[in-house]
Amino acid sequence: MKKRPKIVCRCEGIEEKEVMEWIKRGYRTPEELKRILRIGMGHCQGRTCFSLLVRLISRETKIPPREIKLPKRRSPLKPVPIRILAHFRDEKP
Amino acid sequence: MKSPDVIIIGGGVVGASVGYYLAKEKRKVYILEKEYPTAGSTGKAIGGVRQQFSHNLTIRIMIESVKIFSQLSEELEMDIEWYPGGYLFLAHSEEMKNNYLKAIAIQKSFNLPVSFISPEECQKIVPSLNLENLLGGAFCPTDGHANPFKVTYGYLEGIKREKGKLFSYTEVVKIKKEGRDFSVWTEKGEKFSAPIVINCAGPWAGEVGKLVNLEIPIYPERHEGLVTEEAPSLFDPMIVDYRPDGCYFFQFHSTRHIIGCYTPIPPVLGPDNSSTFQFLTEMPRRMQRLIPKLGEIRILRQWAGSYEMTPDGNPIVSETEIEGFYVVAGMSGHGFMLAPGIGKLFAEMITKGKSSIPLDEFRLNRDFGKKEVMR
Ligand SMILES: Cc1cc2nc3c(=O)[nH]c(=O)nc-3n(C[C@H](O)[C@H](O)[C@H](O)COP(=O)(O)OP(=O)(O)OC[C@H]3O[C@@H](n4cnc5c(N)ncnc54)[C@H](O)[C@@H]3O)c2cc1C
Repeated sequence: MKKRPKIVCRCEGIEEKEVMEWIKRGYRTPEELKRILRIGMGHCQGRTCFSLLVRLISRETKIPPREIKLPKRRSPLKPVPIRILAHFRDEKP
Repeated sequence: MKSPDVIIIGGGVVGASVGYYLAKEKRKVYILEKEYPTAGSTGKAIGGVRQQFSHNLTIRIMIESVKIFSQLSEELEMDIEWYPGGYLFLAHSEEMKNNYLKAIAIQKSFNLPVSFISPEECQKIVPSLNLENLLGGAFCPTDGHANPFKVTYGYLEGIKREKGKLFSYTEVVKIKKEGRDFSVWTEKGEKFSAPIVINCAGPWAGEVGKLVNLEIPIYPERHEGLVTEEAPSLFDPMIVDYRPDGCYFFQFHSTRHIIGCYTPIPPVLGPDNSSTFQFLTEMPRRMQRLIPKLGEIRILRQWAGSYEMTPDGNPIVSETEIEGFYVVAGMSGHGFMLAPGIGKLFAEMITKGKSSIPLDEFRLNRDFGKKEVMR
């Protein structure tokens, strides 16, 4: 049976193999790996994958997970339709 | 001993590109970056690449850049997501239209396939475009977009293949010329030395200049951006609306996210890069006004970053009064698209003494009085 690839970021379909490759190239912070691989840039904005990512970095670098800084949170916290945001500007004060 | 041939301060797209083309000429390059590559302006860029400018030299450099972008994925062995979807500048007034017609005349003299097209033709390129008050648009189909993260990391990996090195989380705090070489100290107290130091610190280039007592007129100006979720394929080009309450946005061909920003009036000067609710609501209004159909698409993220402005809106690519100390910065909000062309030409200046397109107009000691029209 074929072994199924381990997925780190489900929204963007990023596999553990790719993440490990870039960690081995010397990019060892979640901020960098997010930008290179789009981890956590999809719909859920990193809710599940960042904790997995921290574990992988920790395993490879031996840095304890709690010392690994997570990427900056960006608003809005949940996806919001353009129509609704635009509406704030249509209403005259 | 940490003594390469060249020390580059700044691991944004400009430092990465300059470093790559020098490394290809067998210079040993070290890049010192105070955070991580793309932590500065480069990570905030939306990724637009255009040749439609009104300034001759910028047009020539951008033609060179587009040539590079179109084969860069192969060269760097990394998909940089280049896609020539074009740029469409919308004209909503006679004045705007005339500005574009004048610029087109200049652009055509460089054989760019630009033309002014009717509102109906605009709508063919951008289905469901709102035609209200639209007089037409300036369109160049060979402009496009690429992924700034991929380009930067691709160049950096290329530098490493040529035996160069990247030092992340390494801030330069002191520079001193000692004999022929510069000594460069980091905040961790490490010392590097090299005969050539290049200031590629983007919006911080002025501060890095102060380390050698050079006045470099580059100032940060806040620009905000946002990105939507993945959407169905809607349109190919960057859409530019230069009205005072206009905006620019495009859809990434690779991931189908729509990404965009606007230039606030008056400009927001200073290094503060906080995101605002004003932008998060105003940008969607402007986008929806141009393409009402966008209403149901959801915004995923907003951010803010710096344009690195010079007084005339053109880059500084220059030697300085200190022999061996160079400045390649101040791209004035166009640094992603300029980086390949400028990096390559600057490397020619250093290694051959002269670049195939002369960059004298971008020297540090110029008259900063004239301005780019298609800012
Ligand atoms: C919202 C927004 C949208 C944009 N869209 C586009 C676009 O579509 N197309 C385009 O071409 N351009 C765009 N730009 C402009 C573009 O981002 C910049 O022109 C470009 O990134 C500049 O690159 P750089 O390498 O010069 O600067 P940066 O990317 O800022 O790199 C400079 C680096 O120097 C480092 N540094 C600073 N001081 C020190 C020190 N003392 N020691 C060590 N390192 C130091 C910083 O950490 C930083 O990483 C946009 C900008 C913004 C803000």
